[in-house]
Amino acid sequence: MATKAQIQEEKVFQNSVAMTVTLIAFGMMFATLFLGYFLVRANTAVWPPVEIQNMPKLLPFLSTLVMGLSSLTYLKMEKSESQRSLYWILTFALGIVFLVLQWILWGALKEKGILVSNGNVPSMVIAFTWIHAAHILLGLIALSWLGKYVLKKKEELTVIKLMNVGKFWHFLGVIWLLIYLMMFVL
Amino acid sequence: MAFLEQHIHDEPKTFISKYVISYDHKVIGKQFLWYGIFWLLVGGLMAMLIRWTLAYPGVPFPLIGSLLFPHTGGVVPPDTYAMLFTMHGTIMIFFAITPILIGAFGNFCIPLMIGARDMIFPTLNMLSFWFSMASGALLLISLCLPLGAAAGGWTSYPTLSTTLGSPGAGQTLWLLSLFLFGASSTMGAVNYITTVITLRAPGMDYFKMPLTIWGIWLTSILNAIFVPVLGAGLILLTFDRVFGTTFFLAGAAATSGKGDPVLFQHVFWIFGHPEVYILILPAWGIVSDLLSFFSRKPAFGYKMTALSLTAITILSTVVYGHHMYTTQMSPLLTQSFMTLTMLISMPSAVFFANWLGTLWKGSIRFTSPMLFSLGVVFVFGLGGLTGLYLASTSIDLYLHDTYFVVGHFHYTMAASVLLGGFAGTYFWFPKMFGRMMDEKLAKIHFWTTMIPLNGIFTGMMMMGWAGMHRRLYNPFIYEFTQNLMPLNKFVTYCAIAMGFAQFTFLYNFFKTIFGKNIPQASSNPWDVGTLEWTIPSPAPHYNFKEIPHVKCGPHELGNPNLTDGKDFQYQTEELVKA
Repeated sequence: MATKAQIQEEKVFQNSVAMTVTLIAFGMMFATLFLGYFLVRANTAVWPPVEIQNMPKLLPFLSTLVMGLSSLTYLKMEKSESQRSLYWILTFALGIVFLVLQWILWGALKEKGILVSNGNVPSMVIAFTWIHAAHILLGLIALSWLGKYVLKKKEELTVIKLMNVGKFWHFLGVIWLLIYLMMFVL
Repeated sequence: MAFLEQHIHDEPKTFISKYVISYDHKVIGKQFLWYGIFWLLVGGLMAMLIRWTLAYPGVPFPLIGSLLFPHTGGVVPPDTYAMLFTMHGTIMIFFAITPILIGAFGNFCIPLMIGARDMIFPTLNMLSFWFSMASGALLLISLCLPLGAAAGGWTSYPTLSTTLGSPGAGQTLWLLSLFLFGASSTMGAVNYITTVITLRAPGMDYFKMPLTIWGIWLTSILNAIFVPVLGAGLILLTFDRVFGTTFFLAGAAATSGKGDPVLFQHVFWIFGHPEVYILILPAWGIVSDLLSFFSRKPAFGYKMTALSLTAITILSTVVYGHHMYTTQMSPLLTQSFMTLTMLISMPSAVFFANWLGTLWKGSIRFTSPMLFSLGVVFVFGLGGLTGLYLASTSIDLYLHDTYFVVGHFHYTMAASVLLGGFAGTYFWFPKMFGRMMDEKLAKIHFWTTMIPLNGIFTGMMMMGWAGMHRRLYNPFIYEFTQNLMPLNKFVTYCAIAMGFAQFTFLYNFFKTIFGKNIPQASSNPWDVGTLEWTIPSPAPHYNFKEIPHVKCGPHELGNPNLTDGKDFQYQTEELVKA
């Protein structure tokens, strides 16, 4: 007869495999977008091209900070059983703040004349942030689902649930970092 | 491997829980089978319309022509023709072959053949099917729009697929439909990969898995990696159409800024070439097993076949450039892609030789699954060899976009996969529905399919070699193609014959499921030793009362040391040695 620990270990393994495959799939989608970006960048004589020379700097930096912080609060949530609710609220709130910052960023881009119709480089900047924001929305839905267990301190909250949502959330953080570095810094 | 716990689901009692929102992998497999057959008929009808137009340009389509195209008196109009070949390709690849080969056989076979009670994530499995249904619904809706469905080819290259080339909403729905299809495929892939890795019965190591499972598993890996690549392209193209971005618009097509239409081709074919293998790997796996089962001897070079399939999977990811030789690619790149593509023929030759080795001196039973499997061996041989011509840059520059390409990829992606699908359907039907399909009708179905099928695709290759281009509404306005008219007519007659032959299958299929006084199938009507044949037919909802312990490989047939009158061993039995 299998012990509880053995069953738990097997379930963690099964979920790790599934989550790894899932993240590879999501990663491939973003990798394709980055590939397109590299191709365009390699074929552009002068970088940055005139269409994106007035890119805002502060807003994406703040978004990066917020995303990084939310990953930290998530890690804290996983480790601290006593303050799990507090860290869940913080993570969720930071996710919302990130989306608000993105909204402001799109407005700022528009004000500076960086529009989707101005060629494929501005198209990429704006579309990539849209696609990433849509995934953050998915992440927030997953966090809300998790919140159902965290806030009510339900017993069904398992390491697996925390691990799976966490992996997705951290993955989105890494993707944002790459978008930030490639689109707004380098 | 799953040593620990697998719950037995409660038996579903209501119609909805049993047949509609089912979590049972077997029901979901059958749902995918019905779904695929429906689309096969829709795509097949479109093929008939295309072939009729090529054989009889300007002549009304018989019987239903005036009903379908009343404003032209039954003649297929040029814009509809473009829509037809676009939707035929899309439907056959994504909505017929994928659901049958991957959705139906993947779902039905994986848990049964690896000794599990269900997929690891039954809810995700159910969602995968319903996402697929939603995707199909969107595609059906697009057929009813005022400006028609997508008409930019199944590859949907910009600028044909941008608002400039396809102003109607049909193309946008096509993009959304394929995106949903991609989500469904990815869900399936996550489930299949994880199930095979974590739920194999004790004792079933990777080299004791049936080759069917190898094929489906490798396909799932390709699906998980490359379908999202297409997803990215679809999103960007949707943005171009809906939000006015300019990723793929260039030159006069772009009102401002500049994009790159060839970028879409890269993205499409990074996905598109592995997609060929996504479709064919399950068929190869099924055929590899069936050839052994019905030759009554172990699969020749089992391990090498499994490794060859793996090698092909890996190589398929780095050859996509051979679809783009004509896009002014640098010679260094074309030569690299040519070499890599040629390289695929090596593992392909290995498993092909293994198939022949399996047949060699076998006690062959010419059952319907075996006939269809032999059909795959024949047509894949032709399809594979003609691929070598197209891999070569210099020959491809001449043959690009001709009917030679159409004939070649139909041999590999359509003929091989279709015959493999029929082989699988006839083979697992008793386990799915608990009844045996009529063998005589099945054999008639095989010959009436196989003969015209070769007429169609060989004819197409001959036309292509003579220079006839694909996707032309009326190729015969060019003088050099006019003498190809008789050949076109021949191909069309063959297509009609093959189309009618499928009614034999449909009659057999429906009669066996719904007919009265059909004898029940035994638990093992084919005398095969893989795990699904150790349980009753149809498979009970819990699959296995006890999780089986695997003790030998899937192809233990014709062992001379067997003394109990049967010529095969179940995978749960110790291998009999001298």
